Amino acid sequence: MNGTLFKLKANHILKYLFPVLLIYSVAVLIPLVMSFVYSLFDDTGTAFIGLQNYAALLKDSVFWISFKNNIILVVFCVVGQVGIAFIVAALLNTKFLKMRSLHRLAIFLPVVLAPVVTGYLWTIIYNYRFGLLNWFIGLFGMEPGLWLDDPEKVIYMVSIPLIWQYIGLYLIIFLAGMQNIPKEISDAAEIDGANWFQKNLYVNIPMLKGVTQVALMLCISGTMKTFDHIFVMTGGGPGTGSLVMAQHAYNNAFLMSKTGYGSAVSIGMMILSATIILVTMKLIGMSDKNV
Amino acid sequence: MYKTGAKIVKVLTNIFVLLFTLSAIFPVVWMLYTSLKTNKEFLANTLSFPIAPTLINYLNTFEVGELRHALFSSVFNTIITVPLIVFFSFILAYFFARFKFRGKGILFGLILIGMLVPLHSLLVPLFVQFKTTGMLDNRFTLILPYIAFNLPLSVFLFQSFIKEIPSEIEEAAYIDGSSFDRTLFRIILPICMPMVATVAILNVLHVWNEFPFALVLNKSPEFYTLPVWLTFFNGAYTTDYTGKIAGLMITSLPTIILYMFFSKRIIQGMTSGSVKG
Repeated sequence: MNGTLFKLKANHILKYLFPVLLIYSVAVLIPLVMSFVYSLFDDTGTAFIGLQNYAALLKDSVFWISFKNNIILVVFCVVGQVGIAFIVAALLNTKFLKMRSLHRLAIFLPVVLAPVVTGYLWTIIYNYRFGLLNWFIGLFGMEPGLWLDDPEKVIYMVSIPLIWQYIGLYLIIFLAGMQNIPKEISDAAEIDGANWFQKNLYVNIPMLKGVTQVALMLCISGTMKTFDHIFVMTGGGPGTGSLVMAQHAYNNAFLMSKTGYGSAVSIGMMILSATIILVTMKLIGMSDKNV
Repeated sequence: MYKTGAKIVKVLTNIFVLLFTLSAIFPVVWMLYTSLKTNKEFLANTLSFPIAPTLINYLNTFEVGELRHALFSSVFNTIITVPLIVFFSFILAYFFARFKFRGKGILFGLILIGMLVPLHSLLVPLFVQFKTTGMLDNRFTLILPYIAFNLPLSVFLFQSFIKEIPSEIEEAAYIDGSSFDRTLFRIILPICMPMVATVAILNVLHVWNEFPFALVLNKSPEFYTLPVWLTFFNGAYTTDYTGKIAGLMITSLPTIILYMFFSKRIIQGMTSGSVKG
């Protein structure tokens, strides 16, 4: 009975499935294949040059600087988003904390802002003369700084708006995870005399393994493709101080009209991101669970 | 002694989390009230509240910055794409949740790719593809990519929702002679309404805030979306800080208001969406 009732008919496929898949193919699947194809052509898109773009990519020191910058951002965002979010979520989960829902609502608010808005907002916050940051450190008698103009520290400065914007997302993910921990377990831990640290270390962290893995994956893959914030705050500068791979790909493809090489940078970015994600999955033991 | 110690810890923890919350929300609040100050007032004191709140920045922004076009483009893109994303992803998710068919695994994998691939790698090929077909710089240019890129997440959200609906409902409908279309839209879709709302709101945020595709595919100011308009507006008026901040507010207000009304749905969608991804 069941089989005949839920049988897929050809006209359903034609009427519903086909148009949707056509749209998806035109805008996602075909460009994905074409991206590989373009990377094998020269910058005018006329001559097939095989893997020459990739050979150039391997020797492109600017690309590797942008990769290094991406890695710095990933490290900062993993600590700053996932790490801090976990701690704050654990604090929000203690019984004596007041105004819990208000905290949750407020911390999540930046997530809904456009990355472009966050970028510009922080550019103004970092402004030498009128920025909030220099005003704030002035209260402690510190000298004002040129935050986005120093090639040495710019990559750390641009990581702060990223952390600021998305920390709420991870906070919410951890809070949802903590709510799913059976109450009996945390009650049992309390009866056994576990304090806050012990409860988190021996109950929450092991119980939230799956949630933490998802959060880490999200954070790493999201940070590897950072573009909007960097584009509006620094454009990758000064010099290559805050250049990231996506910005490097954009610069090549759209500012210098190097279609072939720009595509190769994009593919290189995809391969490196995928590698890092796979390595991380292996390290945190995600592969054996077949998630 | 022990009790006062514990009390101090509690108070300090509350203060710490409160400061943390303030750091999250203060820049947004600051942006809001600074947009009501004049430039002169801002330059005199970065932090102070406006003495005489004024809408002059907003009025100026409408005068100089091609804002009307951008506002229209953003609203247009959102209104056209979001219902279509909801519609298409609902259909696709229904097929995934209810049917077994050959190639389903592959199809599912192809949709999954859309969630994992960094969309920036598709900028170049999509640009070339659109250029050769003459689809660049057009009122409708962004519709297709916006629908396609937002499909995967929406499909996953719908699919997990539909799977929870007992299939006896459809069986009963078929026995009563309901056609496939009728079952799909008159029976299943109404049950999915809570998820329709979540998916719709999430997609409004995604489409409204999108930047790289709007930047690359539409070059004429007529079709700038708000985020793109903002980048050019910011470059052109370098010393008008409060004007800039008003521009940021105009871009953000719709999403902030949406958040104030639908925070629960947004949070729910983003957490379940991210847990799926």
